[in-house]
Amino acid sequence: MQTTSRNNRQYWGTLALGAGIGVVYLVGFVIGGKPLDGVVSLAIMVGFTGGVALIARRSETVRGLLDHRDERISGIDLRATAVTALAMIAVVLVGFVVDIARGGSGWPWYLIGAVGGLAYIAAVTIFRVRG
Amino acid sequence: MKNDVRERRTAHGLAQGELAHALAVSRQTINSIETGRYTPSLPLAIAIAHFFGTTVEEIFHADHVEE
Repeated sequence: MQTTSRNNRQYWGTLALGAGIGVVYLVGFVIGGKPLDGVVSLAIMVGFTGGVALIARRSETVRGLLDHRDERISGIDLRATAVTALAMIAVVLVGFVVDIARGGSGWPWYLIGAVGGLAYIAAVTIFRVRG
Repeated sequence: MKNDVRERRTAHGLAQGELAHALAVSRQTINSIETGRYTPSLPLAIAIAHFFGTTVEEIFHADHVEE
């Protein structure tokens, strides 16, 4: 089991990550010449993160997803992530097939698929070595 | 896997939330353990046993093990 301070760091770290992604969106839109869209994206991410933080004050499940204090909720998070990955794999495969059927090269679907496949192989290798 | 967590908790006069707080898990997890819907990890099982001053095998009973 983990310490409370570490759990708090994970809790705030997860929330900060959400807001940080919004800042990255903002920078991307500013570079692309659409600063207003960037501000809207940042506001959406900050709003979403704030909403999650508020819900976490009342929901053990949401808080557990943020701070990983509870092993059962962490297990649920892991399985939900695996289901999400399967859904994303299905989308990438369908996107690739549709693109090549239309005469395209499969870009960027094959690149996403390759990154996913390599990430899976690397993860299996690392986790196997670590026991 | 059956267990005696609920019996021991009530014998100690504790609510699920109080036991959950002591073990640094959620109340939902304590409820899931008590109803047999969730089998805790070995570290958590040991923590539960230590909390009640006993051993893991005194609280958790594997279905396939003859006693």
